Amino acid sequence: MKIRGFFEKESTLSVLGSVCAVISGLLISFIILLFSDSSNALAGFGSILLGGFNGGLKGIGNVIFQAIPIIMTGLAVALAFRTGVFNIGTAGQFIMGAFTAVFIGVKWTFLPAGIHWIAALLGGFIAGAVWAFVPAVLHAHFQVNAVVSAIMMNYVGMYTANYLITNTVYNAAKNQSKAVAATAVAPKAGMNVLFPGSSLNAGIIVVILVVIILQVLISKTVFGYEIKACGMNRQASLYAGISAKKRLVQSFMFSGGLAGLGGALAYLAGDGKCISVVDVLAGDGFTGIAVALLGLNSPVGALLAGLLISYLEVGGFYTQVYKYPVEIIDITIAVIVYFGAFAVLVKGMIRKLLQRKGGKE
Amino acid sequence: MRKKFMAVLLSVCIVSVFCAGCGQKEEAPAAENVAVEAETDQEAKADQETETGEGTQEIAMVIDHGGSIDDKSFNQGTWEGIKAYADANGKAYQYYQSMEDSDEEYLNSFELAINAGAKIIIGPSYMFETAIYKAQDMYPDVYFMIIDGRPQAGDDATYTTADNTYSVIYAEEQAGFLAGYAAVKDGYRKLGFLGGMAVPAVVRFGYGFVQGADYAAAELGLSAGEVEISYAYTGNFDATPDNQNKAASWYQAGTEVIFACGGAVGQSVFAAAEANNGKAIGVDVDQSGDSDTVITSSVKQLEVTVKAALEDYYAGNFPGGVDATLGVESDGVGLVMDNARFENFTQDDYDAIYAAMKENTDGILDGILKDADAESADQLPVTYVSVKVME
Amino acid sequence: MEYAVQLKQITKRFPGVIANDCVDLSVKKGEIHALLGENGAGKSTLMSILFGLYQADAGEIWINEKKVQIKNPGDANRLGIGMVHQHFMLIHNFTVLENIILGVETVSKGFLKMDAARERVQALSKQYGLNVDIEAYVEDISVGMQQRVEILKMLYKDNDILIFDEPTAVLTPQEIQDLMKILKKLAAEGKSIILITHKLNEIKEAADRCSVLRRGRYIGTVDVAEASREELSEMMVGHKIELHLEKNEAHPAGCALEVKDLVVKSRFSNKNLLDHVSFQAREGEITCIAGIEGNGQSELAYAIAGLLPVSGGQIILDGEDVTDKSVRYRNLKGLAHIPEDRQRYGLVLPFNLGENMVLKQYFMPDFQKHGFLRHSEIQKYTEQKIEEFDIRAGRGTQTTAGSMSGGNQQKAIIAREIGLDRKVLIAVQPTRGIDVGAAEYIHKQLLAQRDAGKAVLLISLELDEVMDISDRILVMYEGEIVGDLQPEKITVQELGLYMAGSKRGNTR
Repeated sequence: MKIRGFFEKESTLSVLGSVCAVISGLLISFIILLFSDSSNALAGFGSILLGGFNGGLKGIGNVIFQAIPIIMTGLAVALAFRTGVFNIGTAGQFIMGAFTAVFIGVKWTFLPAGIHWIAALLGGFIAGAVWAFVPAVLHAHFQVNAVVSAIMMNYVGMYTANYLITNTVYNAAKNQSKAVAATAVAPKAGMNVLFPGSSLNAGIIVVILVVIILQVLISKTVFGYEIKACGMNRQASLYAGISAKKRLVQSFMFSGGLAGLGGALAYLAGDGKCISVVDVLAGDGFTGIAVALLGLNSPVGALLAGLLISYLEVGGFYTQVYKYPVEIIDITIAVIVYFGAFAVLVKGMIRKLLQRKGGKE
Repeated sequence: MRKKFMAVLLSVCIVSVFCAGCGQKEEAPAAENVAVEAETDQEAKADQETETGEGTQEIAMVIDHGGSIDDKSFNQGTWEGIKAYADANGKAYQYYQSMEDSDEEYLNSFELAINAGAKIIIGPSYMFETAIYKAQDMYPDVYFMIIDGRPQAGDDATYTTADNTYSVIYAEEQAGFLAGYAAVKDGYRKLGFLGGMAVPAVVRFGYGFVQGADYAAAELGLSAGEVEISYAYTGNFDATPDNQNKAASWYQAGTEVIFACGGAVGQSVFAAAEANNGKAIGVDVDQSGDSDTVITSSVKQLEVTVKAALEDYYAGNFPGGVDATLGVESDGVGLVMDNARFENFTQDDYDAIYAAMKENTDGILDGILKDADAESADQLPVTYVSVKVME
Repeated sequence: MEYAVQLKQITKRFPGVIANDCVDLSVKKGEIHALLGENGAGKSTLMSILFGLYQADAGEIWINEKKVQIKNPGDANRLGIGMVHQHFMLIHNFTVLENIILGVETVSKGFLKMDAARERVQALSKQYGLNVDIEAYVEDISVGMQQRVEILKMLYKDNDILIFDEPTAVLTPQEIQDLMKILKKLAAEGKSIILITHKLNEIKEAADRCSVLRRGRYIGTVDVAEASREELSEMMVGHKIELHLEKNEAHPAGCALEVKDLVVKSRFSNKNLLDHVSFQAREGEITCIAGIEGNGQSELAYAIAGLLPVSGGQIILDGEDVTDKSVRYRNLKGLAHIPEDRQRYGLVLPFNLGENMVLKQYFMPDFQKHGFLRHSEIQKYTEQKIEEFDIRAGRGTQTTAGSMSGGNQQKAIIAREIGLDRKVLIAVQPTRGIDVGAAEYIHKQLLAQRDAGKAVLLISLELDEVMDISDRILVMYEGEIVGDLQPEKITVQELGLYMAGSKRGNTR
């Protein structure tokens, strides 16, 4: 009876749903490996599972490093979900944040070392927030579907960033942004000692801080209470006298700011990381949606989901040794996200199974 | 909150459990195989591949995060060069896609390739300049080849090509020159140049195109200004409706042939040409298959270059430390004549101008100006051609 | 004795609940059999099993003394079982006749043969005294008539076991009277009728026998003639309840809420949902707005609360014109509001009980400091309210509101709104969908508020409720107030005439 009670608990079912999603994703990737080249399938699959550990401490450092931007966009999507809005505009907010950070990083060399990086990060946050302002206001005050306007803002953001880069901080020879000044590059903050050889920097500290702030904000503050109320039941929040429109705009902008901060963190990493001037939407923005879904829209969940996805991506990188293309990981992640969405279904199935068993007892 | 935390935590745990299980099995061979010597005969290679599939991929190519191996352009050309050599000589080869576009990640890709047994690594893009600059010192026993770039420290100032690195760029102005020359010789008088972004390589193509047209006009004894060239950069390397509209408006204004010089911009130009009964000239690789409107393509002989470099490497005379600029002298650039759709311009005409350029007859080759030699295309010292630079 | 329906040991489980636990039910041929029970007692589930919408996990169904399998409503139909649902299944832009023959059309060479059908429907209508205009479009006829169309549908299909699911909920008192007559006539003609209800009056009036369900279990079957209302309600609730409230005399004082010439326009037509409504609600008095659903009562409540924009008129709260003020301003100025739809407006269902309890107070210094919620204070306050209002919540303050029963959800809302201690309390259908026990409690609370000097504005569709606890009745019809009545001075029938719009009195 105790065990059944355990399984009937909502929390356990959520966990099981996520676990099933991850396992299904991995199984399907294994099947694809088998079909494309069975001789190396086991080794290749092992390498995917081994993920960041393929590269030892350096690999783990790189897993965390790669996860930084997608955790941020994941947090952005998760926060917006809390207010009942789907922020699909993270790609645009991300790239505008990235541009602003790079602009400050390149041009504002008058800032002293410690301040420059932080100023660039703040710039990225503000730019992302500003970029989210338009769909937020349209949604809150004019009932324009945020999904539609945010998608459009993605393209506007992409072209605007390209235009601004080519006119301000352009490296024509490489068709990309100029490298930021050394003072604007994220400090290593001892991460190179912890994870020798990896690219990891203080960005992860910023990420963890943001996760903590969000967790506190959502669960402990009046602001968090209000945005949750708006997200879960707009009518009831109006009834309670919450100015839902204002909260919606604020939280959407905050969400955009997080995506912008993600862009800033990504492109202030140094190591020749520059914004390429291409007409392609920032992929990290969309990965954020997967991260948020998999992380069940909680800040800590997004942190772990971002790490998981990054872990798999690094695994996929190493799988190339076995002549598998890296796209295998995209498929794996896509399947995980799909099954994550099916978690509800899985929950129902488990419940039914338990009931049938229960009936026989 | 906690339950969601638990949800993800548990999934992570499950994955790590899997990892622990598989890890022990897989780690050993990875280390061993680095040391495995290359075997040259076909049979041994086949065995290797079925048994472990790693450790002996001694020819490696690295592509950037956004690229693909079948891009109908640089990556594909390079890859086909590698394939042509390696298949003929029984070498194992593999490409590695980087996780993202940064020097650190390119270096990670190199490391992965080297761990898998790479002895020579080819990077077909200027994007690898800084990574190869660092790698050539980090891995002195490995050979590197960079195409379309020169190893540099990341400051666009400190250039060093070490003894284990071969750096290749192409004389795009010569390729462009040939295209302009052939177009005018074939009878076209209203030409267009639609470049992608105004990066140096594209500018060199454009300047060469203008000068080649001028040279042909002089040869034909045309009067000054008889050949008109509309000249523009789209500002992107993509197939967009905008680009197509621009090309279409040129065709409608009487332009007969457009040299489409900017990656996927070509697709826009070809589409516009098909709709407006115009002609086009392709770039980088043979694009005659993309559209019947393509009369020829102004190409860089990537396949030839890569294959030659690999032959040199295996023959023991790798051109280490060399910064090559490949032009007509080494057959590095040219026009596609096999699939060409010229009416008057013949193979003999082509051979004649190619030979003249090779021998620098009357200083023809030295006379071609490059990107740094003129402010813009209409500043070029041409007499028979009038260049109209559009916004 | 011949039985039309016998359900034997029916058991049906849903995740987490047993909706029917070994339930028996026997309906004789030609009787009106009432199925009595509170909300959630399992009446609807049981009938859904009989009608083939659900499959029982265990148990047998016997129809006309034969064991049968009913897998879907089609099977039920073939066995002669018909059902009138609470929400009618009619196509509004079809005529009555078209609706009746839908699914059983007589066709010749691909063309509809309406004449034979028309004759038959007309004959049936006459036979049972239904008086339906069969050529009218459904959208043009009254709710009561629509219900008769549903009845005709069953008769046309030769159903002789007829299930009525809460058929009187949408009717005026006059229409209810007529329906009862029709039911009796149907029974007299040999039809067997199952009447699902929780209204004791109707059972006493029409039913022959009555079976009672409580929390999924079968309690028993009684002959209605031999059982008193008190006995029936005790069977239903499980303990004795007072059917009539002891009510002190009201001592009305000053005006706390005044509405002047209030106009709310419809978003979809140029009809006024509220048409120059004016009234006053006084302290120490329960002012009741009565009327049939959809005559503007909901809009009135939302407009006063600030949730619906008004296009004209004034709302004066405690002497101040608040017509253009925000919801929160009104709340703080002196308005408590038990909303009509407790799940859409009254509660944030995923929030726990504590979070819901402070929905209108979380920003007050008692519950927050520097923008951080004081969870321990919220918990303390909520525990106090749980105690005071006897809210049953499995995990105390941490119980998710969505997992609580309807009655307890409503108690939570009432605890919250009364806890605000505001001058004016608007209660919109506070007992809808609530069992008799909880309803009695809520009524007592409303009276206590009145006696404490609050102005209570009760908006209700339940005539009993209106008559029992109000001190003054305002009747709304099509957005207007058409009557200002004293409950002691009128009968239910009179009130019904006002509600139906056929009588108008002096209104202020």
